Amino acid sequence: MRLRVIAANIGVKLTCFYREKTTMFFTIAFPIVLILVFGTIFMSQDNVEYRLCVQDLDQTKSSEQSVKTLELNGKFKITRVAPAVNATQYVRDNGVNLVLILPKGFERSLMRRKFFNDFKESVTITYIYDPSSSSVATKMEILNAVLAGINQEMSGVPPFVKSVSTSILTRKYRFIEFFIPGIIAMAVMTLSLFGTVDSDTELRQKGIIRKLSTTPITRTDWILSSILYQFILAVISTAVMLLVSYAVFDVSLHIDAWLLVFIMLDVFAFVGIGMILTRFAKEAQSAAAASNAISYPMMFLSGSFFPIELMPTFLQGFAKLLPLYYVNEGLRAAMVFEDNMAALRAAAIIGGFAAVVFILGIMATKWDEDQ
Amino acid sequence: MTKETEYAIEVDNLTKRYGDLLAVDDVSFTVNRGEVFAFLGPNGAGKTTTVEIIETIRTPTSGKVTLLGMDVTKKKHSIVPHIGVLPQGFSSFDRITVRETLQYYSRLFSCRKPDIDGLIELVNLKDKAKEQYKNLSGGLRQRLGIAIALVNDPEVVFLDEPSTGLDPRARREVWEVLHGLKKKGKTVFLTTHYIEEAELLADTVAIISKGKIISMGSPRELIESNADYQVLTLQSVDEKTFEIIRRMGYEPVLNNYKDIRIRVEQMDDLPKILNAIKDAGALYLGLDVRKPNLEEVFLKLTGEALREGSAAERGAE
Repeated sequence: MRLRVIAANIGVKLTCFYREKTTMFFTIAFPIVLILVFGTIFMSQDNVEYRLCVQDLDQTKSSEQSVKTLELNGKFKITRVAPAVNATQYVRDNGVNLVLILPKGFERSLMRRKFFNDFKESVTITYIYDPSSSSVATKMEILNAVLAGINQEMSGVPPFVKSVSTSILTRKYRFIEFFIPGIIAMAVMTLSLFGTVDSDTELRQKGIIRKLSTTPITRTDWILSSILYQFILAVISTAVMLLVSYAVFDVSLHIDAWLLVFIMLDVFAFVGIGMILTRFAKEAQSAAAASNAISYPMMFLSGSFFPIELMPTFLQGFAKLLPLYYVNEGLRAAMVFEDNMAALRAAAIIGGFAAVVFILGIMATKWDEDQ
Repeated sequence: MTKETEYAIEVDNLTKRYGDLLAVDDVSFTVNRGEVFAFLGPNGAGKTTTVEIIETIRTPTSGKVTLLGMDVTKKKHSIVPHIGVLPQGFSSFDRITVRETLQYYSRLFSCRKPDIDGLIELVNLKDKAKEQYKNLSGGLRQRLGIAIALVNDPEVVFLDEPSTGLDPRARREVWEVLHGLKKKGKTVFLTTHYIEEAELLADTVAIISKGKIISMGSPRELIESNADYQVLTLQSVDEKTFEIIRRMGYEPVLNNYKDIRIRVEQMDDLPKILNAIKDAGALYLGLDVRKPNLEEVFLKLTGEALREGSAAERGAE
């Protein structure tokens, strides 16, 4: 192993990367786009406001007051639908997913209940909704909770069961802060895996590896150069992701040595897998297909984009077999929960995995023509 | 330091087998220091396999190969700094310039004072020094490959098919560079299926076919020792002439549509042919009698053409 040789290799690789503007753009920009898109979605979910269409058939002060109560709840932006309009047709024609109908006689029933204590008196509010809409169920749940609150208040009796919530975290985190470590883990995996497979397959196909094998550079020099190059790219990519996250979303994340440890382990694990795939994928196309087959399940099942608790139980079990799951867990433990023990546990698991695949990767790397 | 042996390369009973395929079949030869040695043979003859064994990137099935006195199977790390290699189908990093590529390889060899400018000058790439590899034409790429092979000032240079796939002009430019190498006194091991390349550049030519060396010597020696016939070329013949010669029992071969080439075993037969044409009142514009060239010798020895559609294939039999 000679540092001068390794430095020469890294220099050539970084120069190629810098001059390949398209590759550079997608390597750096792709995770940034994900952060901006998902970050914007999650940020708006923190202060979500639904559009609610209300048709007031009663047209009285009381019914108007009730509509205002819904508006004051803060979750709804009210759109009024004229009483003469057919609500079902309105849903179909206007692309809305729910119209709430306050019935005629609303005020009269309310008065009878309030002033004559006629507890048999009630009103029925109708939801006309489109079940194919994904957000309509949430909207109806919120509406039901608001209506339950109104009913409780009208009963004049204090509620028996109350609830209070206490977070296990010392301070409140936003979803974007859980999301960023997942994207870092995924981005480092992608660039390490695809970087290794694409580059090694191309260099082998073009005969550059064969040429290099007639020079004093050894297989160890070459592999170490590749690892360090991927690590440098991973650190640059992570730094850009964090800068964008801080600048655009004002995230609050704990950054310490664990971040570098997990980036390094992520790089080792997926460069190792990349080296193994390169051995068996003879052409660039089959290498790309093999990389996709490895990376897509990791991306979607290991909890990078969303918590694995949202998945069916058997898939949750499967997720725990994926190395990226432990990078996600470790990075969140370090950057969000500041839990060193949990980070250490995750690091031990992914470290063990990385060591095994990296050794296999070295063994699989062909240097001489007859290997 | 390398051993001061008489030969730069010694190959003894070299065999390379891939399963049932015998790629190199019990081959033995030596290459003198400072000579240009050419392996001449068609694709699949075993040229590249042999040369890659000598370059230390393949291992022999059996036999012994020493380079500068060192066993290639045991002394790879000692041998590599003393050799320069232009592999077959050479390629380099697309986005790296000519100068940067040479600097990169000089660092791999830990060259203390690499003469990058001298190398660029030698392969005539001064105008292209800042050009990225992907923008170079085939000929320029091969010249860069030759410069890379020389970056460590090697004692032995291996050039595997250096002009394959190049147009005639680019090929001649590569040959000019190789002439320069010859003048510098480097030991050059060349593999080629271009007869002109071997004839023009090589001191010694080994004809290889189906993994075996069929014949070896200087181009002149090869021709002398195998030229037991003459080639008669008649220019701009008419159909009548063609028929007369055919009827005399020869197999005239049409060359360039109007010329015919006839293989004549006995010198005495030459006047007989010419008289027969004259007596029949047939026409031809000119004639030429010469010994066969190396390509025709190759065809005679191996029974196969060097390249598809090569001159020998169409030539006199």
